[in-house]
Amino acid sequence: MTAVEVVGLTKAYAGTTVLDGVDFTVRAGELLAFLGANGSGKSTTLKCVIGLARPDAGTIRIQGKDLGALQGRALIHARSQAAMVFQKIHLVPRRTALDNVCSGGILRVHGLASVSPAFFAKELKQEAMACLDRVGLAHVALERTGRLSGGQQQRVAIARALCQRAPVVLADEPVSALDPHAAEQVMALLAELAHTENLAVAAVLHQPDLAIRHADRAIGLLKGQIAFDGGMAALTDDVLDTLYAPDRVAA
Amino acid sequence: MSSPALPRAPRQWTRRGTIAAAVVICVVLHVIAFESTEFKPALLVDGAQGMGRFLAEAFPPDLNWEKVLKPSLEATLVTLWIGLLGTTLSIPTALLLAALASETTSPHPVVYQAARAVLSFFRAVPDVVFALIFVTAVGLGPFAGVLALICHNTGVMGKLWAEAMEESDQGPVQALASAGASKLQQTFHASIPLVVPQFVGLLLYRFDVNVRSSLVLGLVGAGGVGLLINQAIKSFQFDQMLTHIIVVLVLIVVVDQASALIRRRLA
Repeated sequence: MTAVEVVGLTKAYAGTTVLDGVDFTVRAGELLAFLGANGSGKSTTLKCVIGLARPDAGTIRIQGKDLGALQGRALIHARSQAAMVFQKIHLVPRRTALDNVCSGGILRVHGLASVSPAFFAKELKQEAMACLDRVGLAHVALERTGRLSGGQQQRVAIARALCQRAPVVLADEPVSALDPHAAEQVMALLAELAHTENLAVAAVLHQPDLAIRHADRAIGLLKGQIAFDGGMAALTDDVLDTLYAPDRVAA
Repeated sequence: MSSPALPRAPRQWTRRGTIAAAVVICVVLHVIAFESTEFKPALLVDGAQGMGRFLAEAFPPDLNWEKVLKPSLEATLVTLWIGLLGTTLSIPTALLLAALASETTSPHPVVYQAARAVLSFFRAVPDVVFALIFVTAVGLGPFAGVLALICHNTGVMGKLWAEAMEESDQGPVQALASAGASKLQQTFHASIPLVVPQFVGLLLYRFDVNVRSSLVLGLVGAGGVGLLINQAIKSFQFDQMLTHIIVVLVLIVVVDQASALIRRRLA
C-alpha cells in the first residue's frame, strides 16, 4: 500500500534549482533509503514532505491526503500521520525518557495535561511504556534523556515516533551523529519496525553500506533528479559511482 | 621548506576615518557630561575634612544590643523578606509575559509586541518610583516595598526569561510541533523545560539584586533596614548608621554566597 506519494516535486533556493521534478512513493512495510552526494537534494526532499520547506511545485500525499489542499487543523492532522526522527535527535534532555515518548502522543492530550507530564493519562503512559519496550529501553524509562548515550537517545526518539501512532516514519540522517555500532543497531531497529509493524519508513542516509545492509529499496538523487529507484540488488558499484561521482571527481 | 608570502591586507582609509570619528565623538560627549554633572574633584579635596569628621563620629559602631543591634537585625530580616516576596510573587506574572513576549512561544505578532511593551514599561519605571506610588496608596511600610519590587522585577525577569527561551535550541520545539502539538503544548513541554536551569539561575540573580534594592526602598519609607539607616543619618547618629551598614553587608554576602552555591549546583 502506498503511504507517501510525491509527484513532480520542485524546489529552488535563491534561483538555484535544488529539486527538479522528483517523483517517488514510500510503501507500507518497507524501509526506503535516500542516497546521494551532498547537495543532491535528498534532505530538501524530506524537508518538503515534513513541511519544514515549502515546495515550489508538485503534490505530496500522505495516506492519500494531499497536503497542498489542506489548511489549519486538518493539515496538522494529516502531517501528524508522518512521525519524524531527526539527526540531532531533539529530545528534551531534562525530561525522562517516558515523558519524552509520551509527547509523541501529544495530539491525544487535552486540557490540563497540556501543562505538565504529571497530568498525562495513565493510558498514554502505558502506551509510551510499550513503545519504549519495543525499542528495548523499558529499563531506562525514568532516566533523564540527557544522561543516555547517543544511540539510546535516538531509540527513545524512535519510541516517541511510535507513540505518535503514525503509519509513516521519516528519518533525516538518523545515524549521522552515532558511532558505527549504535548506527547499525538503530538502522536494524528501523528496518524491523517497517517489517513487523507494517510502517512506511524513509530515511536519508549518508553511508550507502548502511542502506545496502538494512534497506529494502533505495532512491538515488543526483543534482535534484532521481537517478536510481530500485531494490538493493540493483544498487551496484556502477550506480554508486554515478551517484557520488561529483564528490569523487572533486577529490 | 618555502611558504607563500604573507598576504598584505589592503589599507582601509574609510575604516580609520570611522575610528577617528568615534574617538572624537566620545571625547566631546565626555566633555559635555563633565560640565553637566558639575564634576569638580577639587571640591572633594576641600571637603575631605568634613568627611573625616563624619567617619570619626561613625567609629566605633554603636553595638548596644537593645537600642541598636537588635532593631537592626530585625529590620534587616524585613529587608530580606521584602526581597524574597518581591522575587517569588513576580514569578507568575514574569512567566506569563515572558511566554507572550518570546518569539518562539508567542501566539501572535500583535500579542508579542504588546507583551514587549508592557515589559518595557515595568522595566523602565525604577522600583523607587513604584515604591513612592505604593507608599501613597498603602501607607509607609514593607508592604509598599514588596509591591514595588513585584512590579519592577516582573519587567526585568520577564525580559530575561523571554530571551532565554529565544536563545534555546529550537529542535525539540520543532519535533513537538511535527507531532501536532499546539503552541501552548510546545511551550509547556519543550520551550520551558529546556530553559529551567537558566530560569532558576536568573531567578536567583534577581533575588540577589532585589534584596539590595529593597534597602534603597527603605530610604523612601517602604520598610526594612533602609528606614533605620535614613533615621540614623537624619539624627546625626553615625555610629548607629555604621552598625546598620555592617549588618546589611553581612546579609548581602550571605545571600550572594548562597545563590552562587545553588547556581553552581545547577550548572
